[in-house]
Amino acid sequence: MSFLIGTEAIAHVAFWIVVGLTFGGAVIAVFPRNIIYNVLGLVMALSGVAGLYLYLGSFFIALMQLLIYVGAICISIVFAIMLSRPLHLEVPKRSVPKVAMAAGASAIFFAAVVGVIFKSNWVPAPEQSGDWSVVTIGHLLLTRYDLVFEVISLVLLVAIIGAIVTAGYSRRFSS
Amino acid sequence: MNALGTYLIIAALLFSLGLLGVLQRRNLIGMLIAVELMLNGASLNFMAFNRFLAPEPAVGQIVTLFIMGLAAAEAAIGLSLILALFRKLRSINVERAQQLKG
Amino acid sequence: MDWLFKDPVLLAVALGTGLPFLSMAVILIFTRGNPRASCTISISAVCTSFVCAVYLLAKLFHASAPVQYQTAWLLADDVLIPFGYLLDPLSLLMLTIVATISMLVQIYSLGYMAGDPGFSRYYAFHSLFAWAMMNMVIAPSMFQLFIFWELVGLASYLLIGFYYEKYSASQAGKKAFVMTRFADLGFLMGLLILVVGYGNLNILDLCEAGKTHALPNMLVTVSAMLIFCGVIGKSAQFPLLTWLPDAMEGPTPVSALLHSATMVAAGVYMFSRIFPFFASSPDAMTMALTIGTITMLLASTMAMVTYDLKQVWAYSTVSQLGFMVMSLAAGGYFAGVFHLTTHAGFKALLFLCSGIFIHEFHSNDMRVIGKHGGRNLRIPLVCMTVGALALSGVFPFSGFFSKEAILGVLANSPNKIWLYAGLLGALMTAYYSFRLIFFVVFPKGGVEEHHGHHGEDDHGHEEHGGEHHGYIFWCMAVPVMALATVTLLLGFFQSALEGFLMGPSSAVQAVAAHGAHAGGEAQAAGHGAGHYVLLFTAVSLGLGGIFWAYMEFGRRGAAQEGFLSKLPQIQELFARRWYMDDFLRKSLDNFIYAGLTSAFTKNDRRIIDGGIDGICFFTVAGGRVFSFLQSGMLQHNLLVMVAAVGLVVLYFLF
Repeated sequence: MSFLIGTEAIAHVAFWIVVGLTFGGAVIAVFPRNIIYNVLGLVMALSGVAGLYLYLGSFFIALMQLLIYVGAICISIVFAIMLSRPLHLEVPKRSVPKVAMAAGASAIFFAAVVGVIFKSNWVPAPEQSGDWSVVTIGHLLLTRYDLVFEVISLVLLVAIIGAIVTAGYSRRFSS
Repeated sequence: MNALGTYLIIAALLFSLGLLGVLQRRNLIGMLIAVELMLNGASLNFMAFNRFLAPEPAVGQIVTLFIMGLAAAEAAIGLSLILALFRKLRSINVERAQQLKG
Repeated sequence: MDWLFKDPVLLAVALGTGLPFLSMAVILIFTRGNPRASCTISISAVCTSFVCAVYLLAKLFHASAPVQYQTAWLLADDVLIPFGYLLDPLSLLMLTIVATISMLVQIYSLGYMAGDPGFSRYYAFHSLFAWAMMNMVIAPSMFQLFIFWELVGLASYLLIGFYYEKYSASQAGKKAFVMTRFADLGFLMGLLILVVGYGNLNILDLCEAGKTHALPNMLVTVSAMLIFCGVIGKSAQFPLLTWLPDAMEGPTPVSALLHSATMVAAGVYMFSRIFPFFASSPDAMTMALTIGTITMLLASTMAMVTYDLKQVWAYSTVSQLGFMVMSLAAGGYFAGVFHLTTHAGFKALLFLCSGIFIHEFHSNDMRVIGKHGGRNLRIPLVCMTVGALALSGVFPFSGFFSKEAILGVLANSPNKIWLYAGLLGALMTAYYSFRLIFFVVFPKGGVEEHHGHHGEDDHGHEEHGGEHHGYIFWCMAVPVMALATVTLLLGFFQSALEGFLMGPSSAVQAVAAHGAHAGGEAQAAGHGAGHYVLLFTAVSLGLGGIFWAYMEFGRRGAAQEGFLSKLPQIQELFARRWYMDDFLRKSLDNFIYAGLTSAFTKNDRRIIDGGIDGICFFTVAGGRVFSFLQSGMLQHNLLVMVAAVGLVVLYFLF
């Protein structure tokens, strides 16, 4: 129990707790057949990832993760659940071969990625600046990456309009 | 906790779990949730590379921000499609959405 | 259009050769239900053509060079195929013949076809024929000639099968079409060889090349022989001569127009058109000479036994065409073309006269016509006798002059056998044509029977309402008389025509080497004793034939049975056309149907169909298999994709 002593050790333990939180959330998000559990699992996993971002040194991105994912996306998913399907109805049974095949395919993919990770020789940049500040991010967004910034806003605009059209007008078209 | 490989494996695991969800869920909303997991796996990758390899730490964060924006757009479109589909089929079971004909 | 009106010659030729087509189109599209309008349109069109043709002939009679108008139609690399008009003596002469005969026959048809339900159709086809034939005649290139040649064949098919509800007529139409088409295959192949070997189908150039022997001998011989196949088909030469007698199923004016005067002459015309080209290949000329001789003799023998009025003239046409081919092949360019001209006149005359008899007595059998009083129809009878005398080559009718010219040419050829064959043919010609005349004039048992018969049939006669002098009769009689006049007079224009045809603007002008040489010698011989002997022999043979026929059929108490009836086998042989039809039929059945066709059918069924079916089967089966992948199941697709990507990555890692 000596690693419990000191901030270093606490941070270490907390890291694995966060990792566990992430995977626990991910498993809950994927496996249960009740969709509400899935959303809650997603919230958990996303929060865990936000914690990992903290460990990776970016307080800002961790906040954004919570804000956008947990605050916006998950809420909209909950809305969609409420709009679509009565929850009390019996959900279809899981088909074992399908799950098995999906697991196999995912396992192959995972194996491939892990293989790549271990086979690759990761070379760090010779010198790394330690500038993690929001100021730099904002500055870069409006100078070097401004085109991407504009494009992403355009994409969001189109997505909003498209969402309104598909969800809203289709009612009129279909009836 | 301070090694690139750890994060990469965590990200790969997250991605594969998301993939598993996409491949086996029948519920479209469930698939969407799984896709969000996959996106997070990818973001985590970027952040890890940013932390350990990149010369300039701002770049990875910006990419992650973009991914979040795209995820938001994707969620909006996906959810509206799901709603439209539900109205059409009275179901959000992906196995019943087999026809190209509207 | 300005350029068109500035040149009266071009205007005339365009008008003359274009109007019949217009008239056909108008008739077929607008006036099918209105016979009167149809015949007016068609006859006025063909009359315009006639006027144009005569104008052109008069205008260009003294022209010093061939007039040629043409515009590029096909341009492929170094081969240029033009379309246009070539006006030289030969084409002008033929154009006039065609226009004249077409016009006369169309006027004649007013009477002959009156009241026929297909009257408008008949005139439309006639216009089509006139258009095709005239354009063929003035074609400046062999390719245009070929195209219109085929169109003429089409018109012929349509007109032979005019009474298409009659089985034999439609069969005859098919037979004519298939036989001539078969021969045209050779024609086309010959043209293609020429295109490949010489690269030019221009008639004038071909003639020039023939004259100067600019072409390799092999090329000329092969292509000339193949092109001669076209002549064999179109002009009904041996061995494809049997379609022509069958073609008599069409209306009689059609027989007169197509199968005696113009269309069948197309083959001979084409032969003379590129005569220098043929002349530069002695082998092809020998082949043509042989075929012409065989044709002439065979057809004459066939004509000696048939009782069908039209068949006699049909066989005689075949034999006269053989005669023309002989003359051309022996180098007598002028003699051949001259015989073509005179033959067009008197053979159309003979057919049109027969048409009057057939129309009157509703029978083709010469015995029936004789019994029913055929000799009471004075005008056609006299005209027919004129035609028969011309055919037999008796002075002073046109046939005499042209036959003498041909015999003169044959006499000059080194091998005398051709001359003897020609003389034999002349004898037989006189015999069979007067056999027919005597059958009509002196029917066995007299004509009293006819009077009684006619009396009983009086109301039928009344019905026709004084037919002998009615509108219908005169419609038919006037063209006949016009042709008889032509037949009487044409012979005396021999030297004028010779001057024209061999004149400076003629395409063959300098073929002298072969053709004019023979003609010239013939003329030289004309002043010598040898020629008089020949002349005397020929005329006496003709008269002898007539006398022979008189002895057997004409004189009082004659048995009216030819000497051939004493030789039944030979008679059978002649009547069955030397078993040529049976032979063709047999070879068709045994070789084409049993051999090639069944082999092709088997190939078709087993290999080609089987292959295609197999491909279809595999495609369908493959589609079935692969459609399992395309179940529309999104997740299946995704699953396979992911697994595949993973496997690919793993493969490259290890």
